[in-house]
Amino acid sequence: MTGTPVREREDGEVVASLIAAADAAGTDPVTAAKAVAAAAREVSDMLRNWATHIPWEDLEELDARAEDEVVRFFGEDFPAIRADLEPMWEPATTSAPAIDPDEDYALDKNAYDFFRPVGTNLLDRTEEFHGWVEARRRTETWQYSRLLEAAPGGVATITNDLSKPARGINFNSQDYLSFNAHPEVREAAVRAMRDFGPHSAGSPMVLGNTRISDELEAALGALVGLEHVTLFSNGWSAGFGAVTGLVRQEDHVLIDRLAHSCLQTGARAATRNITRYTHLDVEAVRGHLARIRATDTHNGIMVITDGLFSVDADWPDVAALQEVCHAHDATLLVDVAHDLGSMGPGGTGVLGMQDMLGKVDLVMGAFSKTFASNGGFVATKSPAVKQYVKMFAASHFFSNALSPMQTAVVLKAAQIIRTDEGDALRGRLFSAIHALRDELTTRGLTCMGSPSPIVPVLIGNEKLARTVNRLLFDRGVLAFMVEFPVTPTGASRFRLQVQAAHEPEQAREAARIIDGALRDAREYLSSAFGNSF
Amino acid sequence: MYNAIVIGARCAGAAVGTHLARQGLRVLVVDRSRFPSDVLSTHFIWPHGASYLNRLGVLDQVRAVTPAHTRVTVVNNGIALRGGIPEELLRNQFRLLHDDDSGITTEYFSVRRHVLDGMLVDNAVRAGVEFREGYTVKELLRDEDGTVVGIKGRDGTVEHAQVVIGADGRNSFVARALGIAKSDERPRCTYAYWSYFSGIPDCEAQIHRQGRLGMAMASTNHGQTMVLTWGPSEWAAGFRADVEGNFHRALGLISEEAADTVARARREERFYGTLDQAAFLRRLHGPGWLLVGDAGSFKDQCTALGITHALRDAELAAEAVGRWLGGETDRDTAMAGYAAKRRSQTAAAYYDYVCTLAEMKPLRHDELQLFAILRGNQAEIDRFIATHVDVAPVSEFFDPSNVFLLNDTAKESSRDHGAFADFEATYREHQRNPFLRVGAEVAR
Repeated sequence: MTGTPVREREDGEVVASLIAAADAAGTDPVTAAKAVAAAAREVSDMLRNWATHIPWEDLEELDARAEDEVVRFFGEDFPAIRADLEPMWEPATTSAPAIDPDEDYALDKNAYDFFRPVGTNLLDRTEEFHGWVEARRRTETWQYSRLLEAAPGGVATITNDLSKPARGINFNSQDYLSFNAHPEVREAAVRAMRDFGPHSAGSPMVLGNTRISDELEAALGALVGLEHVTLFSNGWSAGFGAVTGLVRQEDHVLIDRLAHSCLQTGARAATRNITRYTHLDVEAVRGHLARIRATDTHNGIMVITDGLFSVDADWPDVAALQEVCHAHDATLLVDVAHDLGSMGPGGTGVLGMQDMLGKVDLVMGAFSKTFASNGGFVATKSPAVKQYVKMFAASHFFSNALSPMQTAVVLKAAQIIRTDEGDALRGRLFSAIHALRDELTTRGLTCMGSPSPIVPVLIGNEKLARTVNRLLFDRGVLAFMVEFPVTPTGASRFRLQVQAAHEPEQAREAARIIDGALRDAREYLSSAFGNSF
Repeated sequence: MYNAIVIGARCAGAAVGTHLARQGLRVLVVDRSRFPSDVLSTHFIWPHGASYLNRLGVLDQVRAVTPAHTRVTVVNNGIALRGGIPEELLRNQFRLLHDDDSGITTEYFSVRRHVLDGMLVDNAVRAGVEFREGYTVKELLRDEDGTVVGIKGRDGTVEHAQVVIGADGRNSFVARALGIAKSDERPRCTYAYWSYFSGIPDCEAQIHRQGRLGMAMASTNHGQTMVLTWGPSEWAAGFRADVEGNFHRALGLISEEAADTVARARREERFYGTLDQAAFLRRLHGPGWLLVGDAGSFKDQCTALGITHALRDAELAAEAVGRWLGGETDRDTAMAGYAAKRRSQTAAAYYDYVCTLAEMKPLRHDELQLFAILRGNQAEIDRFIATHVDVAPVSEFFDPSNVFLLNDTAKESSRDHGAFADFEATYREHQRNPFLRVGAEVAR
């Protein structure tokens, strides 16, 4: 046990005796004053200097005062002092306003809190996560799985997963050049439907491709300057396939820490030798490459980055990355899913903007942002690499090919992208982008990254973002709130995806509405935090 | 007429006064206490806090009487992680906040406030600060526009300044006098009880969590060790019914080994305790005033960052006031710059992190798994500890690409840890207040 007992009482006990003595002042104020003063003198320096709002000197001197002065003190001054003393020994939760447990739970947790559930039964152990989803749904803070009631244009009509309807300016769909409504694109789909039917009926390695597929591969090859193109049935499997098709267990992956999920997952599936590098940091890549090559000169290294980052709206110096890769016998893979077609000279994206067409080792992309269809591709200069990826990217070999309609749509889109009409559409798109960013920034909101079809509005705190999400749904702006696992914890945001169909005034109106919802949400949560890093 | 009057002369106040005086400004610092003086505090200083002390010029003096270490052990339901704060992450943090990474140290220590605060005050005086102790401010003086222009003391003295800085702690007089409301309040917080023991050899700090209880042991001044235990504040009433008994009972529930060490040691002071720990923010500046340290933002003790953040705020505030009074920018721009750094998203995410931790919910299966898979990955253990004490941003550790990669490259499995055996039953047991149960048994 403890050694010599230390006689001084703990402050809680002392303060309790002080309050008890003062409460008995009605019967004998002089005795009470003595007891209060004695207790005040017994309070530790620690507490005295912490509770600077308590007039300790007045309490200590109480036994030296005249009786009428003491009576006045207990009657007039002490009640306020008591009100300051008491809560220091009561849990603050007792006096806090009651909280809706659903809302509390919904706003509190993150998806990663449910990533490693407990239990032997794989089915049963999903219940806890489901309980959280239900709380999010009940409190209208669940942003996922909304439904379109009509085509996703610049304005859209949707319902959330509680069947609650909304109509608003639509930044929730990805169709940067508005090809979904383009008559020639729709006509291409109809023609392919008539010629080939709705089904490709096989893997592209068997009999899933058509003549349109060949034409599309050639068109894409011309667009990125790498002639050997392989089609995938969706963008995610193109990224996953490009990495897993080429990288083996002893090889290394260097990956931008914010690169797309398909690339991160592909990297983890391919090897344990993964280094996540600081976002966009070419010097960090150089350092990591030098470190790896210092001990390993016989295995491969793949360096992976997005072109336009899909929730940050920024892009790397691809030329510098490619150069540093070549200097260390490493291979660069760039994912141009969001920028190809929608920006850059002639729709050539980030690569065209940096004069890197035809100069990157591997390029992959997805059609779902600008080309109005599912699907993706991997492009290379080398016919050998193409054949190898086709064979060893399981997501290519063992997956049914794009449908003839999808292939025809993408081909038509790729053709329009390179025309004057394509330039005009990108001009309209960027007018809306500039209007949106301008209005948001003027209002003090933080637009991350640079002008591009993705306009990320930083919110940060998940509680705040989820509350804004709830308010925004009813206010005529459809916007997707992204949080973990799309963004890191504490870095949530709204990802606004602009379309050529958006009018600049619509974009400004949306910005005003978002600003209002953010203000109201901040007030609702009584939050003082800003929204910049 | 002073350039600045600082109310409160402890960590935030003495530091901001020192930084301002070194810029050649005329500074008055006042405090109601006489120094050396003590105050409720976990008085733990993490490496960034130690670095701030170094930049103030008092680190050597503190270190001469205070044992320091670089590695700390964090144990969650028996799963131990040992690591330190990497210098590179510290440098990043200082460059980001101050554009200056001089004076970095990776050491941490636990220094008694009656030791530290006096050194900080003396250092401020050496820097040219005019200091008045035992000085209670009775009133803030304001001009017809409401701008704060000075102070009036309890002794009747009146002093004027271009800015009055509230560095007077959680129960700030300045904030109360100006009627500045609290925001982002988080009533769910911890209670903490602690004392000082002799007879425990100097060693690295250990921090334990077990269910809803926590415990820390850290070597401090006078050859003593601070032993602190905490839990959810709603359990405080039960704990308080028998502070000494429950103190040792809690240690036993958390770590038998630690409890045994403490049982054989000798207690040198009374027990101290508080549950006045609810977190809040206040507006940080207005015409003629600004707040630094706990006065402007208070967080629960559970990550022991009060002093470190107070020293950080002091530097940030002095930089802003210096830019304004030095004519580099106008007052409002300078103050907004100060607030922007204090209210950044990184700060918001950390505030959330601490407030969630302070609820002291039993550790969930997911959280324990994360601790288990961190084992053997020293770089990520270090980054986790750096994140835990606000050196690295929460968003960089809790980044999907990191969390999933940690999972897929784990070197240990949960099989090695008892915490996962019969997890659900233990989890339910952890929800029950052990101090109430004891009370009920005593009553029977």
